[in-house]
This record gives sequence, C-alpha cells and structure tokens, in this order.
Amino acid sequence: MVTESPRRWLLLLYKVPPEPTANRVTVWRKLKRLGALLLHDAVWILPPSPRTLEELQWLAADIHERGGDAMLWEASLCLDDRDKELVRQFLAEVDSAYTDILADLGQADADLAALSKRYQQARLRDYFRSPLGERVRAALLSAGGRTD
Amino acid sequence: MKWVTWRDVGVDRMGCAWLIRRFIDPAAEFLFVTPGRGSLPEGAEPFDIPGTRLSHHRGHSSFHTIVREYGLDDPVLRRIAQMVDEADVTQEVTVEPAAPGLDLICRGLRRTSPDDQVALERGGLIYDALYAELGAEPH
Repeated sequence: MVTESPRRWLLLLYKVPPEPTANRVTVWRKLKRLGALLLHDAVWILPPSPRTLEELQWLAADIHERGGDAMLWEASLCLDDRDKELVRQFLAEVDSAYTDILADLGQADADLAALSKRYQQARLRDYFRSPLGERVRAALLSAGGRTD
Repeated sequence: MKWVTWRDVGVDRMGCAWLIRRFIDPAAEFLFVTPGRGSLPEGAEPFDIPGTRLSHHRGHSSFHTIVREYGLDDPVLRRIAQMVDEADVTQEVTVEPAAPGLDLICRGLRRTSPDDQVALERGGLIYDALYAELGAEPH
C-alpha cells in the first residue's frame, strides 16, 4: 500500500466573550466566508496557503482586540488517514454553493451579474478545485453569450 | 527613521511602505522580521504587525489605519485604502472591483522579486500608478 504523506492543516481554536454578541457573529461569519470547516463544534480548519495563513493570523489578532483569545496551529493528522474525508467535506461545501448557482442560472430571469459575483465568492473558498466550479464558470460564460 | 514589518510583503505592506515614503517619511528605511517570532527591533516603528498601532483595526487594513492615524486628508488615498481593505482581507461588502486584481499583482511581484526590499520598490510603482490614475478620475 502506498502511504501518502499527511496533509498539513491550519487549526484555529478561539473564544470570544458572549457579550456583545455582534463580536461572535462577526468572527463566525468571517470564518464561513473563508470557507473554514468547523469540526465537532470545536476547531476550525483550513488548508494552509500564504493567503489562508495570513487571513487567520489577522483574524486571531482581531479576536484578541475583541477581548477574546485565539490559538492558531499548523498540524497534520497522526491517527487514521482522514485527510481525504476532510478534503471531501471542503468540496461538498463549495459544491453546494456551485449547485445553487447552476440551479439559479437555469431560471428564466437569472441575474447574471449577481450569479457571477456568487461564483467568484465560491471560487475563493474552492481550495481543492472542484470540477463543478469549471462547469459553473463555463455555464456563466455561455449564458453571457461567451465561451471560454 | 526606521520602520519594521513582517517579511514576504503583499498588497497591504507594499501599500503602507509606499504611503510612508511618499507622504510621511521620504527617508524611511524598512526592516523585515519573520511573522509571529521573537521581539521587534528597538527604535523602529512597526506596521502591519498584529497588536501594534499601525495595524489592522476595526476591520480595516493597516494602510487604512496609517491614513487615519496620520490624518492624511486625501480622497484618492481614502479610495486606495478601501481597495486595500478589500484586497487584503476577505470582506462581505465589496465596492472596488480592482481589489482582487491588486492583491494578485502584489503577490506576483513578491514572487518575482529577489527580496522584500526590491518587492517594496516595485510595489511602489504600482501604487504610484494607482494614485495617478484614480487622481485623474472626476471625484
């Protein structure tokens, strides 16, 4: 059996004071926008890249400014090979956004400008380059009267 | 004077260095440190390093903070600050379509530059161009 070397992941663990609730919401929305996955309601993970690392470093600093505490690790799994499962979860998240865009694109009165914006936002979170993303891109371009 | 920031400069730090040299300290000398490690050199003003005065505050980029902290009252700089905000950190509301492109170009500039010093020089050209072009727009 060929064993692949384990993937590296960025892990963020944080705590924000319960009040004001706006602080918690801001941090949570930021992580959702980045496409981070929340594992067992405890740890947020993202694949490492200069961009994700910097975004999380800033978010950790922001959490401290909001009176909370945050720790950021780069780590790899050392029990069971569950990297593939995590990658699948990331893909599932972004595929659900892509599927919604494709469905809306099928509507007679589709707002192409809004849909291409949603595509761009989804693509920022598409860390593992879902094939569906390519389909959405092609479908948008063709709906706009262009081909890639 | 001396200024210090994290190495591997990107859109925000290139912008800050340009802003500092052009509007605050023409003789600025820039030093670089490794992110998240050790203490900062004495006598150098830090920027774009978490927890410092000239850093991200209230959801804004360090560029935006410097414009505010130094009272740089210039609509073109405020416009660029908005762009850097959107380019540097994922935002919910975006009104500057050039922002992701600016980020990409600055990343590429760092990649094609031999070191951070050179990357800052080259980044300065981009910001000079941006400032000139936005300044020529009616506002």
